[in-house]
Amino acid sequence: MIPPVLPPPVIEAPAPPTPEAAAPGAFVAAALTETQVEVDSGFAGASIVLYGAVFNPGDTPADVVVVVRGPDRPVRLVRKVRIAGLWLNSRPVLFEGAPGFYMTASTRPLGEITDFGTLRRLGVGVDHLRIDAPEEAATITRYGVRDVVVSRLGEDYLDWRRAVIRLRENADLYDTVPDGVSFVDDGLFRAEVVLPTEAPIGTYEAEVWLFQDGEAVSVRRRSLTVEKVGIERAIFDFAHEQPWWYGLLSVLLAGLTGWGASVWFRRT
Amino acid sequence: MDIYLPIAEMSVNAPLLIVLGAVVGFISGLFGIGGGFLMAPVLVFLGVPPAVAVASQANHVVASSASSVLAYTAKRGVDYRMGGIMALGGAIGAVAGVELFRLLRLLGQADLVVSLSYLIFLGAIGALMLHESLNTILRRRRGEPPARRQTRRPLWLYGLPLRMRFPRSGLYISALPPLGLGVCAGILSAIMGVGGGFILVPAMLYILRMKASVVVGTSLFQIIITTAITTVLQAGRNQTVDIVLASLLLFGGVIGAQYGARASGRFRADELRAVMGLLVLLVGLQMGLGLFIRPDEMFAFAPGAGQ
Repeated sequence: MIPPVLPPPVIEAPAPPTPEAAAPGAFVAAALTETQVEVDSGFAGASIVLYGAVFNPGDTPADVVVVVRGPDRPVRLVRKVRIAGLWLNSRPVLFEGAPGFYMTASTRPLGEITDFGTLRRLGVGVDHLRIDAPEEAATITRYGVRDVVVSRLGEDYLDWRRAVIRLRENADLYDTVPDGVSFVDDGLFRAEVVLPTEAPIGTYEAEVWLFQDGEAVSVRRRSLTVEKVGIERAIFDFAHEQPWWYGLLSVLLAGLTGWGASVWFRRT
Repeated sequence: MDIYLPIAEMSVNAPLLIVLGAVVGFISGLFGIGGGFLMAPVLVFLGVPPAVAVASQANHVVASSASSVLAYTAKRGVDYRMGGIMALGGAIGAVAGVELFRLLRLLGQADLVVSLSYLIFLGAIGALMLHESLNTILRRRRGEPPARRQTRRPLWLYGLPLRMRFPRSGLYISALPPLGLGVCAGILSAIMGVGGGFILVPAMLYILRMKASVVVGTSLFQIIITTAITTVLQAGRNQTVDIVLASLLLFGGVIGAQYGARASGRFRADELRAVMGLLVLLVGLQMGLGLFIRPDEMFAFAPGAGQ
């Protein structure tokens, strides 16, 4: 058996020192073990390792924060309301966009690394991730259904926003790992990105921030794609591109199976 | 052994689904019903999105009904004329039902309507069947003669226009009541993912008073056509049919249906009806009572945003 030839791990060469960087600040480099996650019939989630290096010439301790965002999609939510003793769904509320996947991993809890304002400005942490809402509440009609679009300034915006995060956290789609970044050697760190089976298909952005004294001093961005491959891809595309033929084929398959089983059983 | 479902976008345990298909198929063959009303709650419990569960199991119903209808054809137990008229109604109902379901999903009210339909239809029919069959069993136990079957059909069956002869069912009635029954079954097929056998069989027995020997076969024939149309419509309109999920279910389903059909000969009809009534009643209560319990999570995602 000849062992398969593996490509050497991609290591980002440190940027060549420039004259401006005469007093070089700390900076960070990072890469992912996989940049493409393939969803096939055996897909049961994926675990990807992000690793990188901190170049820190000074003595100031540095913290690393890894943020991974999945593709943005609109979100519709309903709230249970009690009417005449029955628990019913309210009219749907629409957010214009929320990441389909969001995780942060860091060397320490985010609150210890930097202050609230910085996290909010950078959009780091589930409490600060951007869930789009306009400034004014409105109703829009989509597919013949009137949705409420909540306002960013409205009273219950926070409730709805927290609900999106909680529901996604329960599905393992949003995650906060305060000790998810660990140093394996001097300046060399790793973090694990766990994608559940329900992780949406699309392009993911990974940001690696380096903090010193509560200030973001360096950032690296990497991207990764999650896509269906093989038979799963073929079925998904078939079902969406030629839905009527797909339906006919499904029925035909079912009818033939039933007929075949009946014939086969009568013989035996 | 987990397998990824491309449309439901989740992974499930394949042997578990095959066993589930087989159990539901067995029940379906035993009672001569599609068995869809049992499948949907279990699939939803396993985490399959309700819309995908309802659409994919309609496909499973096609297979298990096709598997058992052939056995009835051999026994001349299918009234094709009656079945054809009900299937025509079923097609109309399915088109309306799929559109209705689409709108309800977008409104976020699909769960409510599904739960209420289960509670009302299954609850009422289960209770009636249980009551009727227990009475019959009690009378037999006491040695009393069976209650005289009321052979007179409701008069309005004859008052309506478009009268037709149905020689196999022994009927000469208007085509409108069977057509209307078909429409109801078609709407239910789209909303609950069921074939509608649990409504059709009692209605054919107690309202139309068809010959008992052709009731089950005819209802199965009608169910195949209605659920086949529903599957195509759900796939074409909502893209919610998961062929991998459906294949797993129907693989076990067709085998189970055959054993079920064989086993049905060993039991008394009234005892079978009592068990089925109890089953229908329990499923209906289980699905419907959730509406009265304060939910743990006050929010839920509604579909229709990102697609």
